[in-house]
Amino acid sequence: MITAKNLSKSFGNIRAVDNVNFFINKGEVVALLGPNGAGKSTLMRLLTGFLTPDCGETVICGHNVAEERVEAARKIGYVPENAPLYQEMTVFDFLSFTATLRGLSRTDFRNNLAEVVSRLELDRVLGQRTETLSKGFRRRTAVAAAMLHKPKVLILDEPTEGLDPNQKEEMRAFIKEYGARNLVLVSTHIMEEVDAVASRVILLNRGKLVRDTSPEELEKISPRGGIAEAFRQLTGGI
Amino acid sequence: MTRQFSAVFRRDFAAFFKTYAAYVMLAVYLVLSMVATFYFGGYFQLNNAGLISFFRFQPEILALLVPALTMRSWADERRSGTIEFLLTQPVGYLLVVLAKFAAAWIFVLLMLILTTPLWLSTAVLAAVDNLNILSGYLGCLLAGGAFCALGCMVSSFNKNPVITYIMSVFVCWGLSSLDLSSVFGGAAAFSDELLIKITQALNFSKHLQDFFSGHPGTDSLIYFAVVIVLSLWLNLAAVEHKKG
Repeated sequence: MITAKNLSKSFGNIRAVDNVNFFINKGEVVALLGPNGAGKSTLMRLLTGFLTPDCGETVICGHNVAEERVEAARKIGYVPENAPLYQEMTVFDFLSFTATLRGLSRTDFRNNLAEVVSRLELDRVLGQRTETLSKGFRRRTAVAAAMLHKPKVLILDEPTEGLDPNQKEEMRAFIKEYGARNLVLVSTHIMEEVDAVASRVILLNRGKLVRDTSPEELEKISPRGGIAEAFRQLTGGI
Repeated sequence: MTRQFSAVFRRDFAAFFKTYAAYVMLAVYLVLSMVATFYFGGYFQLNNAGLISFFRFQPEILALLVPALTMRSWADERRSGTIEFLLTQPVGYLLVVLAKFAAAWIFVLLMLILTTPLWLSTAVLAAVDNLNILSGYLGCLLAGGAFCALGCMVSSFNKNPVITYIMSVFVCWGLSSLDLSSVFGGAAAFSDELLIKITQALNFSKHLQDFFSGHPGTDSLIYFAVVIVLSLWLNLAAVEHKKG
């Protein structure tokens, strides 16, 4: 469902993503792991078509992102790093706006809205302006907007950043559940997240793909065991 | 596609009012226009049953205020990160560019509509040439459209609304006040006739004057259409190539 072929992107002299290749199939929850500045967000922006690669290509559900961006975007639900929302809108207005951009009919919007609102427990903030929301609710609203059209591919950039432990737990349970039927790509630098949700790990360091493996295999890399140790070893940490 | 256009248009148009910028803008525009008409324009002294004193200062007033309207259109999306949300939706970039421009232009139309009581009261006081005044309003609307397109274009290159505003005022004011024919006219002895014709054809105020005098030509309509289309094309190019 997601194919990345020889993807590269530079900003000036900095090679943010360097010749990355992978294929992700339906039913996988993939953790895009890497230290800060590894190129995780850039890679996600390349996959969603927000950034154009210097070379290489991305194919989402059979649609080449460079040639059929709009078609590919229909299949994707994407939550950027800081979960940006229009501050002057209420949660309901924002979700309604997203549904219109996504081309959802009113009936589909009403049905899907009820589902995502109950799943992400947004009912009590629906009428609240997004600028007044807590970080957790902001992120949940952004996730709800990304899910309204029931995408086959859900791409979440650091979805649990800034959430309290309860919210983190809820978000991880949701990711796991959604990923069982679809495809979820989650970027993170938190090891416990990989343990909690991922069926596969793609490890990036300085723009390069250094490992594409299962969490279990990743744990075996370090003699002392554990994903954190393997992460340190592969990314040059102390 | 119509629903998507309408959604982006309504969001941008509503955003003007939700931040109260729209009310301030309308009030400032009306005060400036009326002060310019009655005080600087000498509305009563001109003894002319028209709105010449009103139209005379509109290019400067619009060049000052329209950038305040458009400064946030793209700069705010970049600053807040919502550009990443917007441009990853299944919507064509051109549609978003056009919807944002349309929201600003319709606001300019609203500004102009609010000045029509001046037209009505002038018509009550004397016999006026309504077609002439309508032509003047059309000129203002087109000038406003050109400024909206230029402002949106400048906004698409920037992240900072204040810098966007200053640059937009510079571009709009520069375009409206630069008299290319006089610049090249001074060197007429050395220039050929074609060059002078070209500079006259590029003259913003000359085309606007055609509308104010009630004799707009096709060339003037084409001129404003070209400025708008060219600015929006640059806006689209900036959005496509400078998204992050």
